[in-house]
Amino acid sequence: MGNAVLTRVVRREMHSPRTAIAVIVLTLVAIAAVYAGTELVLHLLGAKPLLVSPGEATTWLVNLPGDEGSTMIAAGAAVAAAIGLVLIGLAVAPGMRSRHQLGAAAHAVVVDNGVVASAVAERVRRELDLARDGAVVGIGHRSADVTVRPEPGHTVNSSQVRAVAEAALADYGLRPAVRVRARVQSRTHQGGAE
Amino acid sequence: MNATNRGVNRAVLLIIGLALLGAGGAALAAAVWPAAATRWETAMAGAQAWLTAAEASTRLHESTTVSWLVVGALALLLAIVVVAVVIVARLGGGRSTTVTREDAGEGPLGAVTIAHGFAADALADSLARHDEILASRVSAGRVRGENVLHVSVTPRQNVSPVEVAALVGTLIDNLELLTGKQTPAFVSIHSSVRSKLAAEQPRVR
Repeated sequence: MGNAVLTRVVRREMHSPRTAIAVIVLTLVAIAAVYAGTELVLHLLGAKPLLVSPGEATTWLVNLPGDEGSTMIAAGAAVAAAIGLVLIGLAVAPGMRSRHQLGAAAHAVVVDNGVVASAVAERVRRELDLARDGAVVGIGHRSADVTVRPEPGHTVNSSQVRAVAEAALADYGLRPAVRVRARVQSRTHQGGAE
Repeated sequence: MNATNRGVNRAVLLIIGLALLGAGGAALAAAVWPAAATRWETAMAGAQAWLTAAEASTRLHESTTVSWLVVGALALLLAIVVVAVVIVARLGGGRSTTVTREDAGEGPLGAVTIAHGFAADALADSLARHDEILASRVSAGRVRGENVLHVSVTPRQNVSPVEVAALVGTLIDNLELLTGKQTPAFVSIHSSVRSKLAAEQPRVR
């Protein structure tokens, strides 16, 4: 640890590489370019166009707003703009993976959130003596949601739950750190808080 | 762990996203807003007229219909395809078959190379003996000119990640002791459907 190379590896492992979407976009762009090139060459050879000749395509573009079926065009344009927005979002968003770095380990360790969640749930369940499905934990980037459903007659309050979950998480030393939100649900009427 | 250039991935998404947003936004405005529609039509008609004129004036020869403009457009399209293929082809990589290398004269022995297979076998064998580890994979990669060992493990559900990290850490330390050389090691602990099915159940209830 404390090694620049390992820091780099951990940082890369925590973020999405955006490889899949980039490959899809590049493939579509390449297909579009090949198609446009084919139409140009067919036009030069004087052959029949596959779909539309370059001249017809530019004329269609010029007359686009006045075309009948302009709602279809508006819808298509809106879809294209929306896809563009999504791609820009993917390009600039941090793209954090659902993982955390385990600060408590001697080596550079990255853990899936699911592993942390199940371990915390197990610990809460054992320490508060709950049934097998008595504790549900969800781990986010900066928060841990701990929901506890004790058996009827078994009183658990949320501060206990929080204390146990925080103790477990303190052992792991997650980075980025997570804040615990504890809830106790009663089994008789579902969704009742505290 | 690979050597994919993520900046390129994001740049591709940004450029194509901006192009789509620009074209889609302009077409949408032209379709729903009359003022934008007239501007669209004059701009596009101007562009078309310019293209037609340029096409006619840049003919390679009086007798052909081939113009430099079309040749240039084809070259541009070819360049786009080539760039796309090159970016896709360069994805991934950075795997290494060497865990540590010691050149002659560095250590008490001569040149020593420890191949990835040896470390992988040693670690995977030890991990397979532990019941709480369902699956493990060991790979070596080159990051910034340094060999890095990557151990990825899938433990049973409900097993504390700290215990898993300590276990794998001990094995890595042992390997270092065995090879006599420090190798930067990176551990990733994964969850999977299989780990959920094979959850560690309490033995005494």
